[in-house]
Amino acid sequence: MNQRDTLAPNAAAEPWQAELDELARRRACAQGLGGPEAVEKHHKQGRLTVRERIDGVVDDGSFQEVGRLTGHGRYEHGRVVSVTPAPYVMGLAQIDGRPVAIGGEDFTVRGGTSWSGDRKKGGQGGFVEDLAHQYRIPLVNLIDGAGGSVTSIQRRGHSVFPGVHGFERSVQLLGEVPVVCAVMGTAAGGPAGRAILSHWSVMVKDTSHVFAAGPPVVERSLGQKITKEELGGPELAVTTAGTIDNVAVSEQQCFGLIRRYLSYMPQNVWELPPMGDRSDPIDRCDDALRTIVPENRRKPYDMRKVIRSIADADSVFEIQPSFGKALITCLARMNGTVVGFIANNPMIYGGAMDVKAARKQTHFMELCDCFHIPIVFLVDVPGFMVGKEAEAAATLREGMRAVYVGLQVTVPIFTVVVRKCYGMAGMGTTDKNGLDFKIAWPSAEWGSLPIEGGVAAAFRREIEAAPDSKLREAQIEAELRSAASPFRTAEAFGVEEIIDPRETRPILCRFIEASRARLATSVGPKPKYGVRP
Amino acid sequence: MAAMELKAEVTGSVWKIVTQPGQVLAAGDTVMILESMKMEIPVIAEDGGTLVEIRVAEGNPVAEGQVLAVVKE
Repeated sequence: MNQRDTLAPNAAAEPWQAELDELARRRACAQGLGGPEAVEKHHKQGRLTVRERIDGVVDDGSFQEVGRLTGHGRYEHGRVVSVTPAPYVMGLAQIDGRPVAIGGEDFTVRGGTSWSGDRKKGGQGGFVEDLAHQYRIPLVNLIDGAGGSVTSIQRRGHSVFPGVHGFERSVQLLGEVPVVCAVMGTAAGGPAGRAILSHWSVMVKDTSHVFAAGPPVVERSLGQKITKEELGGPELAVTTAGTIDNVAVSEQQCFGLIRRYLSYMPQNVWELPPMGDRSDPIDRCDDALRTIVPENRRKPYDMRKVIRSIADADSVFEIQPSFGKALITCLARMNGTVVGFIANNPMIYGGAMDVKAARKQTHFMELCDCFHIPIVFLVDVPGFMVGKEAEAAATLREGMRAVYVGLQVTVPIFTVVVRKCYGMAGMGTTDKNGLDFKIAWPSAEWGSLPIEGGVAAAFRREIEAAPDSKLREAQIEAELRSAASPFRTAEAFGVEEIIDPRETRPILCRFIEASRARLATSVGPKPKYGVRP
Repeated sequence: MAAMELKAEVTGSVWKIVTQPGQVLAAGDTVMILESMKMEIPVIAEDGGTLVEIRVAEGNPVAEGQVLAVVKE
């Protein structure tokens, strides 16, 4: 063959020139991914290549690749002719000037299926996860692979035991550094599981899907015919199941969301989150807060407006906006300090905590606790969701799990009672092991259960004996309601402060600022105790 | 003309319908009010348009995700 067709050219005049030329050509092979046809096909499906994705996420020119030469070389007469790159691209990069470990499957090479070199590059464990662990830097996974293939049995001559490339490191990372998983294509099996082992996950509308097993397996196992979109598109995976946290409308938007999420995170659990912009005055009092809660207790209001008006301007980033909508969880800043807002949403079942809301609250509290982010509760919760469906869904168990995790949290919690605070769900919004600092708006009301629900049961005989039982019930309700005024609880110091709603931001900013010393002196990994109920 | 379906965010019943088919809506207008968990939950047109169809009547029970009305841009 003509030697100019090979990657290894003839010996040149300069010392090592041949080898450097070979290196350049091997690098060009890596850059070419699965070849022009495969790349074009991938683009036509509305998807970017893994290299374009990495460039889209990280600071310009900051990607320092590791393992660029990995792959499968084809040799003729002892000379390398071409190298099919390993279907995983990874390395070190920067996001907003801070180092991150980043990697992703290359779908243009064998659909991003696993590759067996001497050392794994990433996906499940591998160099990229070791890099995040050893250097204590965030990990960004750009997932686009279907995991193992049964063809590996043929290749190896035996079937591997599940976990031969296990999740040990992936699990360890969840207590050490921020882990972001973005589902960029179809993720099934291992890669789908990997996506869940993250602090925050995101997928892309129309072009990404995630499931334990795809439509062919479902049809074979259950006889169900179902499309990829129905089985693992964002409508199911994000909104219905909460398997993935957020959805982006495009890959470009997804990259922006990843950068935004990481802007709230410290590099690792041994540090505090970065201080943000402090230009929004702490004494900014929004007049809209005075009247936002309707006096008519049956009328809801927009809790997201409350959050936006209390937090630093443009600092609110909602996690899981479409799942478990009875609860709102947001990362935000208060005078530059990162905080986590957890707010009940009166628009959805009056803010009652159902299974999904409970799961959402549990995860978000753990996220904040892990990265030393103080929590602000904006409370309007009538209690756990009631009814046969709610009981069948194990609301009590998931709700108590939220309470249990809340009692293990060691970051400061600030409780603002906006309206209702009842029962065990209400208890779960307070810092019982900490300062237990609760401030209330004048619209606040609380108790072990709402008065209207409890009167009929507690005063049954008296009501039945009265000539007009409806009237008597209403009278008892009115008497109890007057005694339940939040001002009376404040007299007893059962609530630490009642405030004009407009004062919420200044008070929270002062206390959050003061709590920074406490946060700074308790950094490090959080121990885990016991067994979640 | 893109049609937008207004769906019930909660299970409950239709308490009051405050609009009529044919009416032009601005973004943020309330189309009807549901009752759920003793709360009055407004059903809001997120984008403006013409209300072309109302698929429920006052007093009807509604399920979460049920289409209540259709708005065309």
